[in-house]
Amino acid sequence: MKLNLYVLTPKRIIWDCEVKEIILSTNSGQIGVLPNHAPINTAVDMGPLRIRLLDDQWLTAVLWSGFARIVNNEIIILGNDAELGSDIDPEEAQQALEIAEANLSRAEGTKELVEAKLALRRARIRVEAVNWIPPSN
Amino acid sequence: MSCSHLSTAWSSSALASSASSTRRRSSAPRSGGSGLVVRCSLRELRSRIDSVRNTQKITEAMKLVAAAKVRRAQEAVVSSRPFSEALVEVLYNMNQEIQTEDIDLPLTRTRPVKKVALVVLTGERGLCGSFNNNVLKKADTRIDELKQLGLEYTVISVGKKGNAYFQRRPYIPLERELEVSGVPTVKDSQAICDLVYSLFVSEAVDKVELLYSKFVSLVRSDPIIQTLLPMSPKGEICDVNGVCVDATEDELFRLTTKEGKLTVEREKVKIETQPFSPVVQFEQDPVQILDALLPLYLNSQILRALQESLASELAARMSAMSSATDNAIELRKNLSIAYNRQRQAKITGEILEIVAGADALAG
Repeated sequence: MKLNLYVLTPKRIIWDCEVKEIILSTNSGQIGVLPNHAPINTAVDMGPLRIRLLDDQWLTAVLWSGFARIVNNEIIILGNDAELGSDIDPEEAQQALEIAEANLSRAEGTKELVEAKLALRRARIRVEAVNWIPPSN
Repeated sequence: MSCSHLSTAWSSSALASSASSTRRRSSAPRSGGSGLVVRCSLRELRSRIDSVRNTQKITEAMKLVAAAKVRRAQEAVVSSRPFSEALVEVLYNMNQEIQTEDIDLPLTRTRPVKKVALVVLTGERGLCGSFNNNVLKKADTRIDELKQLGLEYTVISVGKKGNAYFQRRPYIPLERELEVSGVPTVKDSQAICDLVYSLFVSEAVDKVELLYSKFVSLVRSDPIIQTLLPMSPKGEICDVNGVCVDATEDELFRLTTKEGKLTVEREKVKIETQPFSPVVQFEQDPVQILDALLPLYLNSQILRALQESLASELAARMSAMSSATDNAIELRKNLSIAYNRQRQAKITGEILEIVAGADALAG
């Protein structure tokens, strides 16, 4: 059994192919989706999306919030933007994380604090996505 | 000296009339034939012909550039289609699912309107006929209407031309100025989206309206006003009078070549909405899911408006430049005729003088 995964953004189709399994970060925690999953609608939180391809290779993408719908072995993920893990430069991501941490320690006022926290969270997710080690089967 | 003044006045008015509507163009032929009185020396005439030729080259190039850009704008619309189709389908299904429930979301909450935010989308550049003027005129009318209703208002201007217009009018309250360079992307629409979202949710404004040019055809675009917020939870697109269109009916414009000429086809696509399987579960509260979905929808609506506005601007520039080229060709033709006549007259005069001189000598 296979799953059809579509990751759509207004700019382009990020992903459109068959996969074995995905791990999705939803608003209520991460969920794993295997074939014949119960049909659900869920809000997608900012976080990594792990994809297991048909040849058991794992890939990572990063989603910046959105919505997912799983019906009849078809997963549609809608988001404003998404990045494939292979497109993220690990060194750049690490640097961005350090900058974001420095910004947070310097932030003053509620608005700045909220923005800095958000930036830090984004940077952390990107680093996480790049450095993730897939489970060995 | 007076001659060169005359010439600049004439050529600029000819180009200006070409850039405006076709209505004025119909009165343009007065310049044809003997209507044009040129009192210039031959050398000045020649330089005028040269300058008109240069202008013609520029306007022609601008026309071609605009045509190429319309195509790119159209590609952007096409590549965002899978997303918007899926989004509308999901929203439609969600809507059927939660019809019975009482949904209270910040984005759909209707409050008594005290203050209205007006988002005005204009172009980044001029030389596109009355495109920017039409939008700004519509904005002025809308502002007057709001004043008469006794409502407060604030303007969010997107595009350099609108920014310049509102800067010259400091009495109009301006919330923010934004610019979009090139083909609009999600980042541009996200910036507008975040701004109106925070204004609306913080109750600084009670209604957000979007004013943009709807792309009708290559020669026509209508400035229209659409209500962005509060959203209807049903995902309908509403205009200011509360007339709503079902969002499943979507229009797509397409630039094609018909018999060697560029034409536009507007295609109405009814998005297939499949019956919703009742067994679908909600991982979270439906309110939370709608909360994730509606910002996406808001964003895609703004992106869509930006794309339409850009397409209208390019189409307006195309037709303005096309008629400017036509006028330049006509002006050049008339000037050439005047030039040749004068040259001929001068030669005839010289021959007459020589003949008369020879006659006098012989006599």
